[in-house]
Amino acid sequence: MINFVLSRLVRAIVTIFAVMTFAFVVLRLSGDPAQVMLGPDVPTSAIEAFRSRWGLDQPLWMQYLAYIRSILTGDFGTSMRDGMPAARLVLERIPSTLQLTVPALVLQLAIGIPAGVYAALHRQSATDRGVIFLSVLGFTVPSFVLGLLLVLVFAVTFAILPSGGYGSWQHAILPALTMSIGGIGILARFSRSAMIEVMGQPYVRTASAKGMAWRDVVWRHALPNAAVPIVTIVGFMVGSLIAGAVVVESIFSWPGIGRLLVVSVTNRDLPVVQCILLMIASAMVVSNLIVDLLYGWLDPRLRSQAAH
Amino acid sequence: MLNINRRRAIGLMGAAASTLALPRIGSAQGERRSITVAVQKITNNNTLDIWNEQSNVGERVFFPNLWEGLILRDWMGDQGPVPGLATEWTRIDDKTLELKLRQGVKFHNGDEMTAEDVAFSFSAERVFGDTQPAGGETVFAEQHQPATARELPAAVPGVGRRLWPALAGVEIIDSHTVRFHNATPDVTLEGRLYAYGSQIASRRAWDEAASYADWARKPVTTGPYMVGEYRPDVSLTLVAFDDYWGGRPPLEEIRFVEVPEVASRVNGLISGQYDFACDLPPDQISAVQSTPGFEVQGSTILNHRVSVFDMHHPVLKNPLVRRALTHSIDRQAIVDALWGGETVIPAGLQFESFKSSDMFIEGWNVPEFDLDLARDLLQEAGYNGEPIPYRLLNNYYTNQTATGQILAEMWRQAGLNVEIQMVENWGQIMEEGERGIRDWSASANINDPVTPMVAQFGPNGQVQQSREWTNDEVNRLSVVLETSTDHEERRKAFARMLEICEREDPVYTVLHQNAVFTGMKSDLKWKAAPAFAMDFRTENWHL
Repeated sequence: MINFVLSRLVRAIVTIFAVMTFAFVVLRLSGDPAQVMLGPDVPTSAIEAFRSRWGLDQPLWMQYLAYIRSILTGDFGTSMRDGMPAARLVLERIPSTLQLTVPALVLQLAIGIPAGVYAALHRQSATDRGVIFLSVLGFTVPSFVLGLLLVLVFAVTFAILPSGGYGSWQHAILPALTMSIGGIGILARFSRSAMIEVMGQPYVRTASAKGMAWRDVVWRHALPNAAVPIVTIVGFMVGSLIAGAVVVESIFSWPGIGRLLVVSVTNRDLPVVQCILLMIASAMVVSNLIVDLLYGWLDPRLRSQAAH
Repeated sequence: MLNINRRRAIGLMGAAASTLALPRIGSAQGERRSITVAVQKITNNNTLDIWNEQSNVGERVFFPNLWEGLILRDWMGDQGPVPGLATEWTRIDDKTLELKLRQGVKFHNGDEMTAEDVAFSFSAERVFGDTQPAGGETVFAEQHQPATARELPAAVPGVGRRLWPALAGVEIIDSHTVRFHNATPDVTLEGRLYAYGSQIASRRAWDEAASYADWARKPVTTGPYMVGEYRPDVSLTLVAFDDYWGGRPPLEEIRFVEVPEVASRVNGLISGQYDFACDLPPDQISAVQSTPGFEVQGSTILNHRVSVFDMHHPVLKNPLVRRALTHSIDRQAIVDALWGGETVIPAGLQFESFKSSDMFIEGWNVPEFDLDLARDLLQEAGYNGEPIPYRLLNNYYTNQTATGQILAEMWRQAGLNVEIQMVENWGQIMEEGERGIRDWSASANINDPVTPMVAQFGPNGQVQQSREWTNDEVNRLSVVLETSTDHEERRKAFARMLEICEREDPVYTVLHQNAVFTGMKSDLKWKAAPAFAMDFRTENWHL
């Protein structure tokens, strides 16, 4: 088990390092932050002063070494836009992002999995077809269309919810709903497929044949075995909690990480973008690490493979 | 756990209804209303510093509600100068201007504004850093040494020198009299005083701030509204400053909220969440106007959209090809198709406001649309269809992409092979290499052609600094326009500069004047200024 955990940890660290390096190089190759930040009208002297202030006049490898050194000492840099610590800017946005992503995740889990399982247990019924139809609709309608549709209905037509902004729990309803609907559809589809596959396995037939109650067959034999693919998807969803949702946050003017990322990329605010990407990568890697460990717990065969 | 039953739901609805009714009861008792303004962006760099945030969006939240200068722009009038924090001003000589400060002006921290604050607002510590004025040494600098170890953002001194290239210093005559000393003669000193950047800040507030970032998020100024709360990228709340020298402001709060998506701004306006929705593209005007209870106000602003040519491109180095480009554009078709006729084609790089300083060249116009002439010019130039790159941003300016596509097609009609290259940011636009055509805009900060002609195309303008174009005669004339005190000589210099820059050796061609559109509730008796600025002072609020 220790080997299993260690191998996953090493992989996680390498992944984070690769993301950091990739982000560093790509961002610097995609436009001069000085020109982007200062706009089209500033004099050359101001641009040169800006480059010098932020070390952008140094060779790329020197900038990279300085970046790695500061990251290892816990310094995530300072925003080129307003001089605030990048980590502080990012951490300030995390709570508002979680205010959307956590309710959205809860909705996805609470509706998506039961709907998929129910559809699988009532295969070929009208309910099953209804679930399939709605889940396909849910994850194929783009969030910017869905978001605007919800705004038109609930904010413009009935005027019962705010069309956007941030401040009260009412403001979170439409964006959280928009974010959750796609995930509900995906989870319902995966849960249904996983359950249908498991329900066809010999051990389920055996359990039924020996007279076990149907509910126990589902809960004790089918669901745990169907959990592995579902946990994989849920792992991705949990990992993206910090990342927020770029499109949804923009439509609803929600001041989360997604919008900070858009603004920072647009302005080539390199320290902030790097800090966000590092946090997202870390969240994703930690989430996947947990999923890997859960695999081992759910499926003992994986533990033994890793041990050998 | 939240339990909702029918009785509780009715109770909640009643509470919501009374919440809606409360503001009306309040207004009946003489309380001021608050408003919410949805904007695409509050500021570009998360500061409320006029020198750091030199942008159209910044103009909207700064003027005239927060920042004020010694001389104010007449936002609702002809955009000319009107007394502000100074009540009168007198020319001492070609280089010196004396101003009498208004008595009893209070800063938002309660301090009275004095000459010390004015001198500080134009000091090395606040603006110019270690830069020197063109044509002379800084004077009085020793009086304005930094009181705290605070670093001025790298861009500020350069931007400061763009507006005040030769300001040597501000001399304090007495507590309410100051003299502005320029290193060179300058007839536009008064104009520079009401331009974006020349506003007055409290020295004490600057000294007491822990850092520049802290100060720049809550600057202490003299405007009718003060900063209540600023949440970068989210909202800016300005609160009424009742000790304002111009009288009690009419609104309790002005809340600017950042709503990046146009559709969201329009939806929020129509659903009643916002009182104003700014930055509406022309194609959204009818959607708002067709909704009962809402209207759109808009007007042209002191900003022209231009296309800029790089004379170092192998094809564009021949001025005949650049001239052909300028004659191939049916500007009226662009204005009609993309702007619904809501803007105009100006008389070259001139603004109506130049008339107030008698610097408007009557009879001058943009190059006429003449495809035959364009084709003849290309033939004379020996042009054989070589590609000309056109670096284009995705709607940095309103309708920019569509305009670019139309231009490319119009140029194709004349026989020009212009290839659009979509890029993401200004860094990529300005990147050296094979530059050809790019978009830009030109603003009149003061009612004199020194902006934008000299500021943007003169020897220190970005076009020349980035080595896109240069012209010796224009550079000589720029000095005349900047330093001569002979009005006729200046007029002639400007007229000649127009000839060179737009006809003989084109560096740019003017496409159309820019316009700005604001959706609003019709019951608000408010008028939009011909600018990005939104005037919420008593004179412009009649509800």
